[in-house]
Amino acid sequence: MVNEVQTCANADCNFAVDGKCVEGLPLQDCPHLGALSEGKIENIESAADISEDVKPLIGLPVGDVLNRAAASTLLRRYASRVVGIIGPNDSGKTSLIASVYELLQVGPIADIDFAGSSTLIGFERVCHDARAASRRTAPYTERTSRGVDATFFHLDLNHSDYGLVSLMLGDRSGEDYLMATDEIIRADEYFELKRADCVVVLVNGDQLSNVRRRHETIAKSSQIIEALIESNTLRIGCNLACVLSKKDMVLASPKTERIRQDFGNIVSTISDKHSQHLGQIRSFEISASPRSLESVSRGEGVEDLLKFWIETPPKVYSCNVPRTVQKTRMIDLLTSEGESCL
Amino acid sequence: MTDDTLDVSIIGLPGSGKTTLLAAIWHSIQEPEADTDLKLHKLSNGNYEHLNALAKRWRAGEIQQRTQLSGMKSIEMRLINEKSMTLDITFPDVPGEEFSRMWELRELDKSIEQTMAASSIVLVINGDTIQFPTWVADFTAITTATGLNDESEDLRDWSADLAPTQVKIVDLLQLLMSDQLHVGKRRLSILVSAWDKVEDEGLTPAQLLKAKLPLLYQYLKSNRDPWTWKVWGLSAQGGVYEDPEKNQEYPETAALLDLDKPSDRIKVVDEKDVTTDITKPLVWLMS
Repeated sequence: MVNEVQTCANADCNFAVDGKCVEGLPLQDCPHLGALSEGKIENIESAADISEDVKPLIGLPVGDVLNRAAASTLLRRYASRVVGIIGPNDSGKTSLIASVYELLQVGPIADIDFAGSSTLIGFERVCHDARAASRRTAPYTERTSRGVDATFFHLDLNHSDYGLVSLMLGDRSGEDYLMATDEIIRADEYFELKRADCVVVLVNGDQLSNVRRRHETIAKSSQIIEALIESNTLRIGCNLACVLSKKDMVLASPKTERIRQDFGNIVSTISDKHSQHLGQIRSFEISASPRSLESVSRGEGVEDLLKFWIETPPKVYSCNVPRTVQKTRMIDLLTSEGESCL
Repeated sequence: MTDDTLDVSIIGLPGSGKTTLLAAIWHSIQEPEADTDLKLHKLSNGNYEHLNALAKRWRAGEIQQRTQLSGMKSIEMRLINEKSMTLDITFPDVPGEEFSRMWELRELDKSIEQTMAASSIVLVINGDTIQFPTWVADFTAITTATGLNDESEDLRDWSADLAPTQVKIVDLLQLLMSDQLHVGKRRLSILVSAWDKVEDEGLTPAQLLKAKLPLLYQYLKSNRDPWTWKVWGLSAQGGVYEDPEKNQEYPETAALLDLDKPSDRIKVVDEKDVTTDITKPLVWLMS
């Protein structure tokens, strides 16, 4: 019988040393991990030699974005707010998430203090390309991968009146959200929106200033809300923040007033049609990660939005859920069991 | 007379001044010239070679060598206070790279697990090397306003070590309160080292924490994790020390060496008082 030693084909992986997958995958799921018979190993230290140098290690929480189960667990600790952020690609979803974290880097946001986060690594990763350390000349945000389940960024915040609140910010590809307008059944996958206390619909101010994209932007913004309500994805009483993003571009445009008028019309359309279903509907203008600080400040408008998330709990929970399911705790709506109830 | 035991871990990122702190403590608790609340009770059978070497360099005005990555030195000392109460303190001299590794690689060498479970923590932060985040938009605004060339360099990919100092420290404190290392309530002495280089800013240690490490300040203030904490400014060597391997000689170092009492190089600052007693933060940990 030939003893087999597992090795990893990924040059960056230290599996041979620490027994861990560099990509954090369970060993059985790692596509690079393979078996190599001892007879084929040449010029490699024997496994015994290696093991003598290996220090026993304790794995620590990875600090990256959370999957659904991990987010559910954290939501059990304090009062919580789950925020779903929807909008087409390049509307500024990830920039908005990053900007909340970046504002906390320089101090409290209004009466809201940073109290901790389980996703510091995740935040640092998405913030990098807007920081000087990246050596970029203009802020950039990596696009969220398409076809991947939503993940969550987590912040524990301490509000002067509300105390400790766990804030979960859902992140999913904009293209995936838009698919609900083509095929409404797709909305059933959006577990982060089903549990959301507040949904943010981002309207790209730059695209409203673009004559070729303006009308499509207007149409899609209300269509996506229509699809999410029609599919019962948004709970009755869920708050809605309509956000005009890229305020710096809006102000730099010669059509500023028309952009604001278009945005106002979008909000009115949604409000007229869905105010019975939704909770509070508010509009905001933000510049989460502006290219220039000539007319706006970095993160302008985000303070008001954060206060809205924290200070405006939804009035009604899950009126559209069957009576037998209403006993389900809200945290369970992030679990697969909860999802099956909707 | 009451005997007590206090496990103290000194933690901090690389270059924060942990070893210099140990050197100054070892000198101060042994030498009668140093006016300290705590003194060395008696030597035990332990090996003091490492501590003596640190204190020797400190007295000579020489910079400490980087703590070796292998062979962590655990230092035990029995101290006595003015009420003749004795106290056993364990100080592991853990290299700062171990703490960087916790942030960057999300793992902990099992050999320092016990160290991380200490009920009392001394966190050393170099006040002169705090890395604060800067943003592309702010940077561009500055280069535009000053007319400086914004010469493009190769883009730099993200890596965890680029994170701001306050993020790394918040993460470290959170990890100490995580399930793996949680031991309940802990006391935390925060020492802002190189205080002589930042004191001209006219801030108290707590004000400096709030101004330069606002994320850390908010984290501690919010009290989500059960830290009982206090912050001091610390100048453990009083000024610049020399590297004998580089044949450095500075007039400032010579002036420090010229002081009659080596402990007069030390400055420990809290919100009200300035003292040369480097054991004050340890006494607070005992309270």
